Amino acid sequence: MKISELIEKTGFSLATRNLETEAEVTGVYCGDLLSWVMGRGEPGQAWITVQVHNNVIAVALLREFSCVIIADGAMVSEDLIQKAEDEQLVLIESNLPVYETAQKLNALGL
Amino acid sequence: MFYDLHMHSCLSPCAEDEMTPNNICNMALIKGLEIIAVTDHNSTRQLPAVHEAAVNCGIRLLYGTEIQTSEEVHVLGLFRKLEDSQTFQTWIDERMPGIKNDPAFFGNQLLMNGQDEVIGIEDNLLLVSLDATLEETVDAIHAYGGKVILAHVLDRQNSVTTQLGFIPMGLAYDGLEVKSEEQKLRVLETHPWIKEEDTYWFIDSDAHRLIDMSEADNFMRDSVFRKLWGDDII
Repeated sequence: MKISELIEKTGFSLATRNLETEAEVTGVYCGDLLSWVMGRGEPGQAWITVQVHNNVIAVALLREFSCVIIADGAMVSEDLIQKAEDEQLVLIESNLPVYETAQKLNALGL
Repeated sequence: MFYDLHMHSCLSPCAEDEMTPNNICNMALIKGLEIIAVTDHNSTRQLPAVHEAAVNCGIRLLYGTEIQTSEEVHVLGLFRKLEDSQTFQTWIDERMPGIKNDPAFFGNQLLMNGQDEVIGIEDNLLLVSLDATLEETVDAIHAYGGKVILAHVLDRQNSVTTQLGFIPMGLAYDGLEVKSEEQKLRVLETHPWIKEEDTYWFIDSDAHRLIDMSEADNFMRDSVFRKLWGDDII
């Protein structure tokens, strides 16, 4: 499934602007301890987290995630969005808790 | 000077009740330490009593606290002046989530006077994250006149590397705390942008019991203490 389709079907909002959203989402990974995620995420996954530190961008690039979904209404700073845009990383916001956010993706077949 | 800049008094719920102001200061003298800092979780309220005990037994003291940021990273704020640490408490209070302590589960949070008498109990649980990011915390400690040491940076719990994967580039800390020389080398290996000579490396005990306080093993030049905390520290 493409990122654009994921956004359309879940109703989650796109935080980053003017980025390509045609990349393929191949699965989902959930986690907030960045050391943990760095060791386990798989390329192409959408990463659901409530962690909003700028290091999220570096970890997402390292694991080659297709996009990052900041869940549970965690505050996304303009600085984080800017950094994500600089690195061409799609950031998505979900107001649902992590579990419900993941359930929505699961219902889409991810 | 032989130092130990990270330890908890009986105000921290996880520390033993034996960690009283006078016990800590006298144990530091017995162990041959020349400067210590008491760093309770998210609080500087024990420090007036520790100050009194330190003056009475004649050991140098830095006024500290171990802040837990919103990312659950532990950061030491170390102040030269008692007053600065007490003013900093207002910054902490504004960012506390206000969760009540359950002493049976977490442990006692005892406030003492300079004679080791219990004068109060801290009701708010101190083992919590403040509503402040790592960067906001570093800036605040500096703004209130303190220095920043990232605590136990390679620990598997509440360290900057566990929570955030690696030490953020450009973070304005003053020192890094490791457990050994070997850990220092690991930090340098995994962080090419950190230069050994550009930061100060501390090895502290993080003692929660008297027996765990450092021996006179870790030495830092007087000039470093002067540079970080001012000429009058010696």
